[in-house]
Amino acid sequence: MEKNADWKKAAQRLGMYVFIGLMVLTLIEYAVSIYLNSTVGLFITMLLKSALIVYYFMHVYRLWREDSH
Amino acid sequence: MSATTAEHTHDLQHEAHSHVPPYHVQLKSNRMGLWLFFISEIFLFGALFAARFYLWYVPGVGQTRPELSQELGLLATTVLLVSSYFVFRGETAMEHGDRSRFLNSYMMAALLGLVFFVAVVVMEWNVFGLEGSIAGIELFGHLGVDDGVYAGVFYAMTGMHALHVITGVMLLLFVWNRGRKGDYSPERHWGVEGCALYWHYVDVVWVFFYPALYLIGTAVH
Repeated sequence: MEKNADWKKAAQRLGMYVFIGLMVLTLIEYAVSIYLNSTVGLFITMLLKSALIVYYFMHVYRLWREDSH
Repeated sequence: MSATTAEHTHDLQHEAHSHVPPYHVQLKSNRMGLWLFFISEIFLFGALFAARFYLWYVPGVGQTRPELSQELGLLATTVLLVSSYFVFRGETAMEHGDRSRFLNSYMMAALLGLVFFVAVVVMEWNVFGLEGSIAGIELFGHLGVDDGVYAGVFYAMTGMHALHVITGVMLLLFVWNRGRKGDYSPERHWGVEGCALYWHYVDVVWVFFYPALYLIGTAVH
């Protein structure tokens, strides 16, 4: 039971870190647009943000995993 | 024995005596099917994304974009990211058997999805022709249907995305209602996972659409 609570806390903490990372990248994206106007820079932030969501929120690795949830 | 555990045991017994594939096999197929659906949707959103770069390119100027409210775009993006966090929180809660946190999180995500929809369709599209500002920040968009290729691409991209957002909100509420009735357990909650995957996918699409619409290129009046 205690182990389950620890796992839950760790998973929630990870979700919070990913969310903070996404927000920071969004602000960087905004700054890149205003100060640098760099299309390449914006594409890099887009790819980083989508990679974070696909890996940590969408759990893409579960597609190759045999076990359940 | 709790109701959900009893149902789970009953399902396992049923599977053992029928031709229904075991749950973990169904789960793997469900995941693969949903991801294939996402890949098919990439063609739809990818075509809109590519059209934006083709049609908003002006020779001699480079990439352009319409004059849109930067604050509104940033606000809508933030709202969608927060809703994605709540969906993750709800899914994790269900995985660990915390039903009340799952219900709160999914309801919060659905409400934030509605806020995003209002920010894009009511405020940015300005369907009611409203005017207003707070601290110098324009609350309602000025792009009209007669703004040529800028309006065409903008409405197509945001409209198709908003359609997916409203579908996602309905899905979140449907799963929330089933969760309220106790239809999911930590061992069996494909509905919760599938709904979360869909919502995050809608978020990923916006991750590409937001810079394409609001940030890339020179703003033209």
